[in-house]
Amino acid sequence: MSNSNREELQAFSQIVKATQGADFGPALQSSLSRRRFFIAGGATISFGALLAACGGSTKTGIARLGEAPTKTELIDAPVTDIALLRTATSLEHNAIFVYEAVAAAGLLSGDAATLAARFLSDHQAHAEATASLTEKLGGKAYNEPNPRLQSIYIEPALRLITGDDASGIPVTEDPAADVLALAYALETIAGSTYQVYVPLLADSALRAAAIGIGEQEARHAAVIGSLLNPSRLVSSFGLSIAAGYQETTDVAAPAYAVPTTFGTKAPVPVVLGAPSEAGIRTTLNLETPSLNSMVYEYLDGE
Amino acid sequence: MTASKIISESPVRPTPADTKLLASAQSTALAVRDLYQVAVGAGAGGEHVACLVSIAAHHDAYAQSISSLIGRAAPQARDSEVFSANEADFGSDTMATALAAHALENSLVAAHTELVGMLEGTEGAALIASMVIIEARHVVALAAIAGKSPIDDTDLFLVTPEAAQADTLTTTTVA
Repeated sequence: MSNSNREELQAFSQIVKATQGADFGPALQSSLSRRRFFIAGGATISFGALLAACGGSTKTGIARLGEAPTKTELIDAPVTDIALLRTATSLEHNAIFVYEAVAAAGLLSGDAATLAARFLSDHQAHAEATASLTEKLGGKAYNEPNPRLQSIYIEPALRLITGDDASGIPVTEDPAADVLALAYALETIAGSTYQVYVPLLADSALRAAAIGIGEQEARHAAVIGSLLNPSRLVSSFGLSIAAGYQETTDVAAPAYAVPTTFGTKAPVPVVLGAPSEAGIRTTLNLETPSLNSMVYEYLDGE
Repeated sequence: MTASKIISESPVRPTPADTKLLASAQSTALAVRDLYQVAVGAGAGGEHVACLVSIAAHHDAYAQSISSLIGRAAPQARDSEVFSANEADFGSDTMATALAAHALENSLVAAHTELVGMLEGTEGAALIASMVIIEARHVVALAAIAGKSPIDDTDLFLVTPEAAQADTLTTTTVA
């Protein structure tokens, strides 16, 4: 440190001592003369120069230890009509996967198995339709189950139904009932997804095509709802109708042929699996694909 | 995580052309509501009368929601042609009423599906799409009320008849 710098530091120290313990109120403001104000200001600037002089580095950035990681830019992935159609196809393959797994495991029999086979056939037709539309728009069809929905909904749900020794999950008590409950939720979400896509699709002709498939998914859900709750096909919850027509329970049933007034975009809860020691069963909340579940075109390269 | 944005240049609010289509849809919804009310008043429904009342309430809600979209352009009156054409089928006989309602709801599904493709504004398209999802479910509920089996009469539950789809091409009142 040079002599001049040392003198500046001493002057700054004196000013600091002069203001220590002071009440920074009106009294101080009136007693702080203009001359002392300039002295303090000058000393502050000089102290800044002193710090700069002490630094031996030529870097102009803020001092730090180590190297900062390289910033990864977010991928600009717009939700195009192609991305929406690819995601729809992937969702159809999620449903196909479930119905094929259920059939392979022999979890359904009789009329339920007959209906499940019909629903499987419908989903295969829907997957072909959305894949064809994707290609007509110049995109590449995605003919696999949606990986995110598969990992967060489908695989955990099937494990809860069939059991998983490795995870210590026991087989559910009534596999057929659980499969129907899962199918009801899955079909409801499938219909909701196409409904949600309507205002997102740029091409109005595609909107009609989307809801044309969505209404068929809704019919699947309604058929299952009518089997699960045949005594009350249409929910009265949320309706302004006479008390004599209202349901007498305080809680809505898990399934109806017609559960709401408008197509819902809300999560659909489904209770699955064997009860825990406390008697509690697992609830999965199925939701329509979010931005993180979309099958963007750039994912093909990963 | 991705930086995503929706790509659509469609208007949000209904355009003048949309408003005419939505006004027609509101008149239809009010006519359908009144048809269910006539049937319930005549004694139809049996053990499922609450379902018919609930479906009537749904169509009333559709009419109100369309009002909120198009404001003063909403006719607030039922389509007399739709009502007159179907009134005789909505009587005291539960099965006959359920089958008539089933056919009517199927035609609504087909007409509203087409309407979704015609609307320019996304708010109107989204509203009609949410109606289509439930009208399709109405079809299933009404088939069950009519005593049909999803195993023996599967297509009655799951398929929109070609006749209903053809109606949408020639009928403007059920828009």
